[in-house]
Amino acid sequence: MLGSLDTSKNTTHHGNKQQLIYQATADILPLAIAVIPWGILCGSLAIKIGLSPIQAQLMSLLVFAGAAQLASLTLMGGAGALSSIFSSTFVISSRHLLYSAVFREHVRQSSFTTRCCTAFFLTDEMFAVTCAYLEKYKSFSHLYAISAGIVFYLVWNAATFIGITAGQFIPNIESLGLEFAIAATFIAIVIPSINSFSVLMSVLASGISVLILSLMNNEHALIIATFIGMATGFFTASKDEEHE
Amino acid sequence: MNNYWLALLGMTCITFTCRYLFFAKKLPFTLGVKTKRALAYTAPSVLTAMWVPIVFLSYQHIEKSFLDSPFLIAGLITIALSLKLKSTLLVVIISIAVFVALQLIYY
Repeated sequence: MLGSLDTSKNTTHHGNKQQLIYQATADILPLAIAVIPWGILCGSLAIKIGLSPIQAQLMSLLVFAGAAQLASLTLMGGAGALSSIFSSTFVISSRHLLYSAVFREHVRQSSFTTRCCTAFFLTDEMFAVTCAYLEKYKSFSHLYAISAGIVFYLVWNAATFIGITAGQFIPNIESLGLEFAIAATFIAIVIPSINSFSVLMSVLASGISVLILSLMNNEHALIIATFIGMATGFFTASKDEEHE
Repeated sequence: MNNYWLALLGMTCITFTCRYLFFAKKLPFTLGVKTKRALAYTAPSVLTAMWVPIVFLSYQHIEKSFLDSPFLIAGLITIALSLKLKSTLLVVIISIAVFVALQLIYY
């Protein structure tokens, strides 16, 4: 399947395709491992709420968005209306609009298949490793992005499968604090990426605003804090040279 | 139940649309230099807005005070580790182990 994607022009300067796939796998693997507890939680929660095993697996196969899946499962469990399930999915997924805007200039000219694949596999984790790759090599690789995405997809779905089949045997699975694994992953991505004053400021601004907004029970805390962080980074960028 | 199928279908469409929208060739829209510069801060801002509440606010959902929360303690250890260690895998594995150990001590 990957052979048909138009990646050739991007891969020539740094190694062959196989190396690129290997590198993508190695880079995303730690993040994929950390998502396993979450996948198990999603699978077992879906069964507990009353989805059939096929529906539970299809959710991870098709929706493929951990945070949105968990939120909507909670709503389904409380017999939430479809409209509230959809609006929560949109609010939580709206950050992906930003990711797709960031990759736009690199992806827009590709074939329809490549664009669809890149979009389908675009998660927080795939975005993070692809951004790091982009920063390092100053070029975008579809093969890298999609390989990382597929590895993550396989692990996510395997974890969901474990949750579906074995979740009932794990007592109090919701109270184990499985979301900590996600926090640990994101910390491990963000902290080493702070390489300038403006990035530091954007992280601090986003972190402080999300705390304040969450304490105020603002349901759009995530996206508002993100914009505050981005704006802060943008406006402090001029200070970067003074601090180097 | 029919509703679950509808929910699945709708969610699939919503998440895919959010991820695909700016890849559309027909979208008559070019990113300006300033927008691109602001977008460079997307990853650190979004990810921080996601991990900060887990580390600092999870104590509200468990019966612990702010300072006793395993989320806070393990979170701060993760920050320290990610400053020291180069390997993301090591940071993730050690910090999850620390968190699990804290949970076991507390319960």
